Amino acid sequence: MRTLSITAALVCLAFLATANAEEKLSMSEADKKMYAELLESNPAEMEVAEGEQLFGELIGSANYAKMLGVKEKDLPKYIAGFPRYVESAKKVVTLAQTIQMAAAANEKPVPKLESKEMVKMSAYVKSIANGQKTSIDVKANKHMQEMMKLGQEVFEERRGGRGLSCNNCHSSDIVGQRLRMQPLPDLGAKETAAAGTWPAYRMTQSQMVTLDKRMQQCMKNALLAEIPLGSKEIVALEVYVTNKTKGNNISVPSVKR
Amino acid sequence: MRKVIMLGIATFLGAADLSQVIESPDATAILKKDALPAAKAYKMPDGCVTDDAGAIARGQYIFHNLNGKDAKENPPEGLSRKLADGKDKQFGNCVACHNIEGAKGYGNIGPDLTKYKELYMDSGVRNAQFMYQKIADPRMDNPKSAMTVNLANGLMNEREVCDLVSYITAVKK
Ligand code: HEC
Ligand code: HEC
Repeated sequence: MRTLSITAALVCLAFLATANAEEKLSMSEADKKMYAELLESNPAEMEVAEGEQLFGELIGSANYAKMLGVKEKDLPKYIAGFPRYVESAKKVVTLAQTIQMAAAANEKPVPKLESKEMVKMSAYVKSIANGQKTSIDVKANKHMQEMMKLGQEVFEERRGGRGLSCNNCHSSDIVGQRLRMQPLPDLGAKETAAAGTWPAYRMTQSQMVTLDKRMQQCMKNALLAEIPLGSKEIVALEVYVTNKTKGNNISVPSVKR
Repeated sequence: MRKVIMLGIATFLGAADLSQVIESPDATAILKKDALPAAKAYKMPDGCVTDDAGAIARGQYIFHNLNGKDAKENPPEGLSRKLADGKDKQFGNCVACHNIEGAKGYGNIGPDLTKYKELYMDSGVRNAQFMYQKIADPRMDNPKSAMTVNLANGLMNEREVCDLVSYITAVKK
């Protein structure tokens, strides 16, 4: 009896110790508090609201739907399926690129992909699909199939100053392990849901960041040359990463570390 | 006649062609420049592994630091924070993936290198040449290795790889 309770206590202690270690690894107490506060009032909500206004002035949902060739009420479903092949673009495009197309169709100046306005507008457009599930179809046509294949190649190609690939840190046998104190996220897992949760407010950077930018930040940290926004290769990466997350809820903007 | 109609349709569709307004830079040159040379076998140079305190100190510094900009302490003699062209020198940041004696905030993607000599070299499972190759180009004996490439891509020079081997194989207090 006595030994039993000691064993139980020891098991308990061991459990507490590991639980504590886990917490320490992912975030400090202060960071956790800040994260909880940010979830309560996400500063990026304001940027999405600004995006809505900018988008309304530049394009408007009715014109946007018309340019895409869908009914306005079907926009949420349609947006949840990006990146996708769009006939008038003659290629697979991201939401940000459709904003460029719609601005041009509306005879307005075309915002640059790197611009603050574009980050806000694309976050707003993505948020139209909030509550939907990411529904990318990488088999829809040969364009999507090609981009999926290219995306996987880019994801797995070792390059740059340290000869690393995205896969070196995000492959299924590595996720959950630690790079320094940083647990490596499974990009497709429900709790990460990478494609459904960006644009997100990055706590460590105090700003809203898009998925493409987030991928560029990984490249920069790991000494891979940054693939420019809008290029075929970064769109392909977005296709590949989004497909990992297919079926997860869209909830934009979220909060990330 | 048929041609004319086709042309007519083409111009009509042309009006809805928005492909030219999309920003879509070509990344081919960037990726080509960033490519890695093919995996290569290396032979450890003569006199590579040493118990010279200076070499071990350099190896330790390369192991535990990311780059010259972020390093808290100044590098030991024979290493510098900057490259000749003024850019920040990149170090090994091995601690991001490996534990070793005295490591702070280490990761666990790679194996624990604590007591390496005692556990793996004295028993004959591993030797210095194996380690030299692993650090220089880990793809050689493990094409799927998640480890960084250090010599094949010019991140380090031969001596720096030797400094690392000397440090990891040294008996630590
Ligand atoms: C050296 C390791 C490493 C490499 C190489 C790397 N990543 Fe990451 N990545 C990480 C870590 C660590 C995090 C989580 C950081 C955090 O929580 O702040 C992360 C986070 C991410 C996220 C955000 C996940 C989320 O929270 O939704 C995406 C997307 C991502 N990486 C994509 C990529 C892509 C694409 C590449 C290749 C171009 C790449 N990564 C290369 C280590 C790496
Ligand atoms: C991004 C992660 C990562 C980084 C950074 C890294 N390694 Fe590794 N290392 C690994 C992995 C994973 C293995 C095991 C797979 C393999 O053997 O290729 C490994 C294996 C090794 C081994 C072989 C161990 C054995 O006996 O099997 C040595 C030695 C080593 N690393 C040294 C280093 C040194 C020195 C550095 C810094 C210059 C370094 N590593 C940086 C991930 C990493």
